Amino acid sequence: MATVNNLLLHKGKDVWSVQADSTVRETLQLMGEKNIGAVLVMENQKIVGIFSERDYARHSSKKGSMLLDEPIHTLMTHSVYYVSPNQTVEEVMALMTSKKIRHLPVMDNERLVGLISIGDVVKQIMSDKETTILGLENYILGRDYSG
Amino acid sequence: MATVKDLLKAKFTQVWYVTPTSTVSDALKLLAEQQIGAVLVVEAGKIVGIFSERDFARKALLPEVNLGTPVGDLMVRGVYYVTPDQSVESCMAMMTAKRFRHLPVLEDGKLVGVISIGDVIRQIMSEKDSTIQSLEDYIWVHMI
Repeated sequence: MATVNNLLLHKGKDVWSVQADSTVRETLQLMGEKNIGAVLVMENQKIVGIFSERDYARHSSKKGSMLLDEPIHTLMTHSVYYVSPNQTVEEVMALMTSKKIRHLPVMDNERLVGLISIGDVVKQIMSDKETTILGLENYILGRDYSG
Repeated sequence: MATVKDLLKAKFTQVWYVTPTSTVSDALKLLAEQQIGAVLVVEAGKIVGIFSERDFARKALLPEVNLGTPVGDLMVRGVYYVTPDQSVESCMAMMTAKRFRHLPVLEDGKLVGVISIGDVIRQIMSEKDSTIQSLEDYIWVHMI
């Protein structure tokens, strides 16, 4: 069964992040340039939160302001969930579904090694299921032919 | 193989929409209240666009944009749609290729629902699981 590590090998380990005192403006600029839906927020090389398009939409609406010059740490979600490289993609999927989150940082012994999205996870699970189906079909055909 | 109609039957679909003259502020409030990521923009009974959290995040940096801006200025025009008899696989292909999370469903030009990437994936996964189940059953019955 595929693990988080397999996912990271596929997609690379690029993680985009901003500093906690970066402005919303700088953060949105980065997200636009990289065409990503969320970035990690760091302070002293530690993850202190995650900031997504949804966080921005919800906060602007609540405050009735564009908030472009606010520091990002006032809008981020304090990230409490993360996964480790040896967890299975099924476990990750279950966590994302139950918590309704689309992105999870990957931590290896307190070191940040990646950020995976629900899209990455779904792609992997689909292709695992395809492989299983193909294997079962081959098994059935192989036995039939040899008989 | 399941169709869009099956997906719509499986859940009660309330379709939320705004008009092109609604403000960004109105649209964001609706997104927050309904806990959704995108709304359709409808004018005189016709879909003219879609507005998502992403559209807001991407365009917020333009100097002329603020919460009072009409949604019509920020929405994505030329909305792709599906029909009830289309296969769920074809929706998945469209969503993946165009990187959409939502697709309106039109029947005879009339809006009858919206399907999300989550609905589509759940359906396809469950079909794959039942294929695996029947292949395994076949092996148990015929080959072991």
